Amino acid sequence: MTVSAHNIVKHFGAFTALNDVSLEAQPGEFLALLGPSGSGKTTLLRIMAGLEFPDSGSIRFDGVDVSTRPTRERAVGFVFQHYALFRHMTVAENVGFGLTVKPRNERPTPARISARVDELLSLVQLGHLGDRYPSQLSGGQRQRVALARALAVNPNILLLDEPFGALDAKVRKDLRRWLREVHQTMKLTSVFVTHDQEEALDLADRVVVMNHGVIEQIDTPDAVYNRPASAFVCDFLGNANKLDCTIANGAVEIGGHRIENTAPPASDGLGVAFIRPHEFDVAAAGQPGVPVTLRRLTRTGPMAALDCLTETGALIEMTTIEPPTGLLPGAALTLVPRRVRAYSA
Amino acid sequence: MSRSVSTTEPRWMRWLLIGLALGFLVLNLALPLAAVFFEAFRKGWDAYVAGIVEPDAIAAMKLTLLVASIAVPLNIVFGISAAWAITKFEFRYKSLLITLIDLPFSVSPVVSGLVYVLVFGLQGWLGPWLQAHDWQIIFAVPGIVLATMFVTFPFVARELIPLMQEQGREDEEAAISLGAGGWQTFTRVTLPNIRWGLLYGVLLCNARAMGEFGAVSVVSGHIRGLTNTMPLHIEILYNEYNFVAAFAVATLLAGLALVTLAIKTLLEWRYRDQLHVSGH
Repeated sequence: MTVSAHNIVKHFGAFTALNDVSLEAQPGEFLALLGPSGSGKTTLLRIMAGLEFPDSGSIRFDGVDVSTRPTRERAVGFVFQHYALFRHMTVAENVGFGLTVKPRNERPTPARISARVDELLSLVQLGHLGDRYPSQLSGGQRQRVALARALAVNPNILLLDEPFGALDAKVRKDLRRWLREVHQTMKLTSVFVTHDQEEALDLADRVVVMNHGVIEQIDTPDAVYNRPASAFVCDFLGNANKLDCTIANGAVEIGGHRIENTAPPASDGLGVAFIRPHEFDVAAAGQPGVPVTLRRLTRTGPMAALDCLTETGALIEMTTIEPPTGLLPGAALTLVPRRVRAYSA
Repeated sequence: MSRSVSTTEPRWMRWLLIGLALGFLVLNLALPLAAVFFEAFRKGWDAYVAGIVEPDAIAAMKLTLLVASIAVPLNIVFGISAAWAITKFEFRYKSLLITLIDLPFSVSPVVSGLVYVLVFGLQGWLGPWLQAHDWQIIFAVPGIVLATMFVTFPFVARELIPLMQEQGREDEEAAISLGAGGWQTFTRVTLPNIRWGLLYGVLLCNARAMGEFGAVSVVSGHIRGLTNTMPLHIEILYNEYNFVAAFAVATLLAGLALVTLAIKTLLEWRYRDQLHVSGH
């Protein structure tokens, strides 16, 4: 099912949560809404589910406007950040809940419900835990119960709010891969919210980067990482050194030193340049590039991390595989950026 | 067992404080309670039973049960509705509503009784109209029920509001996203989540409804066998120097208090986590 948002605006009092946001998730697509807290990503997800209503704009499922339809009629599977499992019901009762509340004429027989619950519990690899209560499960297990419960009603779309937010790193990684498989097997259209860029890049077909209630970029993980559309996206995705610069004739100058290989081209004037730590070469002092003083060098295995100060006192953190030998703090060096992303300030 | 680091007071000081607290409890709670039972049985079992089965006493008990059986269920409905509205929805003047719910606790019960007399009494605002339609509220059962409801209103709501605030809205949102209707969500998700807290509130509400004196005293009119609840009946007997009968009926109220206390303690011990913070 295609899910689309059209010109969504949402205010909470004087705060603008979403300011004219539009996007579309294709059938079978796994879409990530990525942004810092307060960027409006969760609000957008809740508006898609019908848990919030926009001030203006519309949500469409396969082109049909569902904006005024209440949640229970939208057939969305929603997985909450803290799972929201019903604590007084067993795992099996939780998973079967959506089936048991159906109108009498649509409700499956108890035997059919029980069979469906078993099927879902084995899908989420919890077949043996149906009689337990949520409080007896680990975080990762609760998350899978929440997912099974959402899938029980055969939702049109699956919406997940920070699905791995409350889990530790190891469990998070395993669940991520597993969720991706479930998404593919069930042929779902899924949208999930995260503030973790690694998670978004790893899991999603396309990433929607949001900030202050607007969409900064919608693109594949590769594109948002390598061709960020704005300074915010560049800054938010991955570490990058952020340096003031001037742009003249399509080239970047940092501290008056001209740098080649600038992308994307920005208009002339003051700007800000982003260079990732691994996108520098180290050269001897006096070479063309950014002159710096070494402040600290740490070796971790084959890699070395260098903290350097520019002539204007800005800190540059870079990593390299083969640093020149015998470097001591205070040494004068030149850093030669292989790739610079510059944006007008 | 070693002394904890924080108790640095000398031994005599600790015993003095414990003694003071214990002495206070004995003097103010245990002794009066014992006195109630002692006085009730002073003239033996037969006199005790006679005080209880006397027609006016039976009528008072019936009235007390009737009032509680109307006021408590209505306050359960009002209390849940108020707590539901306050914790699950956002609206203006919410804090005003919360303050209003607390009002019966901060106003003297006598004042609340007088307010009803002022509104519904013969000289009151609605008095002439009520009299024209032959409806008697003050000095009759409806007035007693109204006054009791007013005084006991906060118990259920006050117990539920912090509990439901703590639980948030996610469970209800999950239920509706799974297709549940409003009533299904309430009976299958909200109510089970608050059941022990609700029971706790209902217990306290019931104890107060049966024991309420001040407000009821103002609106009742003290008509023997008709508008006397148990606390009022006890007062009349006492004023007539009929101590044995007065204390005999009082043992029933004291017994109710003890049972309430026991169930309340049991609830707190067994469902502590669900009465207050329910962790996910």
